[in-house]
Amino acid sequence: MRRVVITGIGVVSPVGIGAKAFWQNLLAGQVGVRRIQLFDPSGFPSQVAGEVPAYKIGDFVPKSYRKATKVMAKDIELAVVAADDAFKDSGLQSKAYTESPTFDSKRFGCNIGAGLLSAELNELTAAMHTARDGNKLDLEKWGREGMSQLTPLWLLKYLPNMLACHVTIIHELKGPSNTITCADASSHLAIGEAFRTIQRGDADLAICGGAESKVNPMGLVRQCLLKRTSNTKNDTPAEAVRPFDADATGLAIGEGGGLLILEEYERAKSRGAKIYAELAGFGASQDTHKITDPDPTGHSYAQAIKKALADAGVGAGEIGCLVPHGLGIAAFDRAELAGLRVALGGALERIPFAPVKAQIGNLAAGCGVDAAAAVLALQTGQIPPAINTRKPIDGVNLNVAGESRSAAVNVSVSTVYSLGGQNAALVFRKV
Amino acid sequence: MGHDIESVWRRLLNGESGISRTSLFDASTFPTSISAEVKDFRLSEHIASLDQHAGSGRNTQFALAAAAQAWKSAGLDNAKLDLDRVGIYLGSGEGPLDFGAYTTAALAAWQAEANSLNSVKWAQTAFELMNVTRELEQEPNMPLSHLALLTGARGPAFNCLTACAASTQAIGEAMEILREGRADVMIGGGAHSMIHPLGVTGFNRLTALSTMNDDPPRASRPFDAQRGGFVLGEGAGMMILETLEHAQRRNARILAEVVGYGSTADAFRITDQHPEGEGAIVAMTEALHDADLAPADIHYINAHGTGTRENDGNETVAIKAVFGQHAKNVPVSSIKSMMGHLIAAAGAVELITCVLAIRDQVLPPTMNLHNPDPECDLDYVPNEARRARCDVAMSNSFGFGGQNDTIIVRRFVS
Repeated sequence: MRRVVITGIGVVSPVGIGAKAFWQNLLAGQVGVRRIQLFDPSGFPSQVAGEVPAYKIGDFVPKSYRKATKVMAKDIELAVVAADDAFKDSGLQSKAYTESPTFDSKRFGCNIGAGLLSAELNELTAAMHTARDGNKLDLEKWGREGMSQLTPLWLLKYLPNMLACHVTIIHELKGPSNTITCADASSHLAIGEAFRTIQRGDADLAICGGAESKVNPMGLVRQCLLKRTSNTKNDTPAEAVRPFDADATGLAIGEGGGLLILEEYERAKSRGAKIYAELAGFGASQDTHKITDPDPTGHSYAQAIKKALADAGVGAGEIGCLVPHGLGIAAFDRAELAGLRVALGGALERIPFAPVKAQIGNLAAGCGVDAAAAVLALQTGQIPPAINTRKPIDGVNLNVAGESRSAAVNVSVSTVYSLGGQNAALVFRKV
Repeated sequence: MGHDIESVWRRLLNGESGISRTSLFDASTFPTSISAEVKDFRLSEHIASLDQHAGSGRNTQFALAAAAQAWKSAGLDNAKLDLDRVGIYLGSGEGPLDFGAYTTAALAAWQAEANSLNSVKWAQTAFELMNVTRELEQEPNMPLSHLALLTGARGPAFNCLTACAASTQAIGEAMEILREGRADVMIGGGAHSMIHPLGVTGFNRLTALSTMNDDPPRASRPFDAQRGGFVLGEGAGMMILETLEHAQRRNARILAEVVGYGSTADAFRITDQHPEGEGAIVAMTEALHDADLAPADIHYINAHGTGTRENDGNETVAIKAVFGQHAKNVPVSSIKSMMGHLIAAAGAVELITCVLAIRDQVLPPTMNLHNPDPECDLDYVPNEARRARCDVAMSNSFGFGGQNDTIIVRRFVS
């Protein structure tokens, strides 16, 4: 089996655009969960979110591609920005930057996880307004004239595979391309799938991870209806997300994108690439408990982690940093701990634990950012803080600290699960 | 075309059409008012316990019905299975929007003067009208999650949504998981319905759909000179894939072997396919290579064949580039001429017809092919099913944004 290493990281997050800024600010304890600015949230019970700082999408695409940015939903933009960051970091010259790329485009894959993209309500409602009958849409009028108010390419703004498609076009990547849509597990499953394509020889390189924005009225209303959101900390957003804390109040929605560039090890070595880590193991599994509730035994979650550790040939005792899913919803955090306990046994209390969502919120299909944090912890020997895990739930003794700390990390792990029960774990190891 | 394999297959071989006036909503003034709907569908006829699936979307219900049939016909309901080694890989689409609540919340909050939505007002109406289950069931991982509840499968689980190539890709990736030994059994397939007002709006704005509203059965005309777009369909296709060892150990009836898979990206444009079919050529070539087969070994190609001007010409070019002199000898057909385009679910259903073609040694026709197009000059099995030797079949799927996936199946010989 061919070995696979990480040679580029791209991040767009609520605590900074670019992997460097993200990491610096995450370690510094900065909190990107704030009162929502993108729309007036005062009609919603939850009014905080992890919003990405303002940027100009034109700065992240070649000049010739600027026109195409008009058909990019926010989710697509986040993927495009993260991809630009990852490529610039990797030292690989793609078609976006040169006429003679430094790789064979047919051997470069792309696997970007995506969520359920929300149509921009202003654009769509402006069109629907021309075909209204009171507060209802008159379909006869809509068919006759209303729909023609929409730009012809309207549908293409919201197809989940457009994250990967724009990235493959901008950077000219013609290898295996996939789009995993498994909610919060999308990024990790996408990274795992890309890992396999390189291991088995279907590609030599891949850009993979995911991006999503739920910071829009539809994204927020869905999470509120599901009773997953933090509703009691609207005045103190920095304290809202409390993963594994006895006073957990719920999740904060978020937006962002996290992408890794994976490269076959010998190729990376021979070009003298900066190697962050080896992607050593991947595991995936499915719950069969109940769609809206976590499995309290954590059986399948543990299976995914065990498979990933076995895949890497690593024991639980060797893990130097764990980035858990850690939503900050009591029932889910409790089930996650049960799964971690089954998978890691007594090592659970000893492993430096970094629940990063306290600072960035839940990036959903963009949880590739969490995976990037696990890679960066390994590479820099720094463990991100657990700013709001003050009094761990059920008296569990977790190895958390309020501030970042140094540690020798030879193995790091990032784990996620989705609402719907898909589980995934990634194991990174020092080369 | 039907709710089970045998009746769908019979109708396809008869050249019947599943296309008629759209009844799921009032499409009478839409540029396209026809579609291929699943009619008279009741989930209760397919699965025993509905409790866990109450409120599921149309796509999920199709997925459940198809998976229940596949599971049963594979003999898995009585098989001894290690459920941690039974996985699912779907290429399913999102569930349908709660259209009434969605449009009313938006219109009630619209401030025409400011040309913007009042999000406070919007939230008020949305919380009144929207229903948590209907919102959750729109998530594209829901068909997958429901199939896990139905079957108890706890192994590797994925949903990929690569537009019209999704379920072909899902089956290809499921096969890779089995090859790598990460599961013993995989459910592979897809489910989708975009026959709803915004779905049709989106495709109509792209001018991708046939507007031959007066003659629904003849509206989908793949490879015909008078083709004018595809007809939107809906449905699901599911397959049980299994390692040979596992299948033989439990004495399963083996329908065919999946022998080759190729997957590429055009990296060309979000709207158009590569005009020389570059990505499609590589996908077909990779699948042949993966199967260790030569073009002359392929007995039948189930084309993507959407009936759009662009696809059918480009696909023909690509087939010629891959098959060379042999191209004119390989029968190629498109069942989309009869059942329309199932979008994410299309590839799975089409691959199933390849397996049936191998089983019964008969090829489904391309209907409505009466006017030869000089651009499309292959043997498309026009207008009538054909008895033919078929031991190896290829299925192509291409998606918006330049996704290309090809799978090859072969008669199983031990």
